Amino acid sequence: MQTKTALETKNLQVLYGEKHVAHDINLKFPQNQITALIGASGSGKSTVLRSLNRMNDDFATVKGEINFHGVNINQPKVNVYRVRQQIGMVFQQPTPFPMSIYENVIYGLRLTGEKDRRVLDQRVEESLRQAALWDEVRDQLKASALALSGGQQQRLCIARTLAVRPEIILMDEPTSALDPVSTSQIEDTLVQLKKHLTIIMVTHNMQQASRSADWTAFMHQGHLIEFDKTDTIFMNPHEQKTADYLSGKFG
Amino acid sequence: MRPERVDRLATVIVLSLAGIVGMVVFSLLIYILAMGIPHINWHFLTAEAESFSAGGGIRDQLFNSLYLVVLTLIVSVPLALCAAIYLSEYAPANRWTQGLRLAIEVLSSLPSVVVGLFGYLVFVLQFGFDFSLLAGALALTILNLPILTRSCEDALRQVPYLQRQAGLGLGMSKWRVTTKIVLPAALPGIITGTILSAGRIFGEAAALIYTAGQSSPAINYADWNPFSPTSFLNPLRPAETLAVHIWKVNSEGLVPDARAVSNGSAAVLIITILLFNLIARYAGHRIKQHLTK
Repeated sequence: MQTKTALETKNLQVLYGEKHVAHDINLKFPQNQITALIGASGSGKSTVLRSLNRMNDDFATVKGEINFHGVNINQPKVNVYRVRQQIGMVFQQPTPFPMSIYENVIYGLRLTGEKDRRVLDQRVEESLRQAALWDEVRDQLKASALALSGGQQQRLCIARTLAVRPEIILMDEPTSALDPVSTSQIEDTLVQLKKHLTIIMVTHNMQQASRSADWTAFMHQGHLIEFDKTDTIFMNPHEQKTADYLSGKFG
Repeated sequence: MRPERVDRLATVIVLSLAGIVGMVVFSLLIYILAMGIPHINWHFLTAEAESFSAGGGIRDQLFNSLYLVVLTLIVSVPLALCAAIYLSEYAPANRWTQGLRLAIEVLSSLPSVVVGLFGYLVFVLQFGFDFSLLAGALALTILNLPILTRSCEDALRQVPYLQRQAGLGLGMSKWRVTTKIVLPAALPGIITGTILSAGRIFGEAAALIYTAGQSSPAINYADWNPFSPTSFLNPLRPAETLAVHIWKVNSEGLVPDARAVSNGSAAVLIITILLFNLIARYAGHRIKQHLTK
């Protein structure tokens, strides 16, 4: 790999109680690239994704290392709130808070104690522009975020995550609740965003992975089967299971 | 039988049963209002109650009822809300939580007479509050807590799980997610539940007979010092409420117009509870609108 690594997992294992849902996951997510995690339902891809910024702490036991800037962030003494500001997350469904568009975007920033109006205003515009939503909402920043359409809400959630300037964004099927038009808008947005940060996304949509991801990891029953450039995975995968999954033999 | 016949039969049965329920409720409501409203006039609402002669009003009883509801809510809302937050956001799924839920359910089916006697023994005698608004408010709190906790918990639970995840994903602590995201989103439900519970305790009598008392000493509405014994705000004075007044006038009333007084009081009680319900709906609706505007 020529590119730098933004995040690396070493022997990552996730257990729900006694149940092993992810075994020995070793992944190096390249910086400023989009990496897609694909696999059938129950393959453990969402579980792995959520473990990366410690969102599974309350439900599961996560073992192994998650290295970020040379620090293993999978340790109790690491401040999870800082981690989540650096490694943001966008969910399956849009999750706007019941407040104005403006307040939604700067919510994370307020947590860091930022009060300067000029900084906040500037960051709102910057984040909404990056999420390709600025032109649609610039005149109604004080309106409730709940009045936006589903696609707009999801881009708002991306903007909200961007506003704290994370280095990595985790996306858990970010377009699964959206129509095709909104989906392609979000995909375009992602391609723009990777100039500034690293994106790791779980998707059920194979076209989406092949269209927008630079790298693809295929998971099956809790194991990482194959991780390579997206073209390689889709055109000539090395593993039979990957080929079977992509051709629709299971999953 | 053919499916469409079964369907028609079931529809008829369900509709007629629902009709019976509706009829009972509506005819009761109309009866109470028709019997009571003719007796309601400005004098009735603003005059003191008489002990032996006709023509008494319900000014103090009405005020006592409303004031008691306010006092009860001041005590029970913070308690119920904290319990609800614990149950919905923090409680692990274990035996202790199960036991807590069971206790709340049992508490909610406690007969109000038992609560009243408990209040008499503990608040009135043991704590030395005597027959007072405070003792009454604490007894009503016991009655109100389980239901209010339940409705607050339901309101909190209805906030989508993803909202919490989104907050955590931004780097918020759990407490912050609870107070800044979950609580505001649940506010319409919490307020509606609170006002509805206010309506329920407004009509409570049995728990108050032995706690807030059955007497209404002369009170002074110009005295705003809550520590003065004659002040209308003094929480340590005995206070007969509207519902207790209805019970007393009917069971041992000496006034010649006892029937009229109790009919009028019952109508005022029903109308006030109706108002509580309408306000609850309106308030919940408005807050929801405000949040989505």
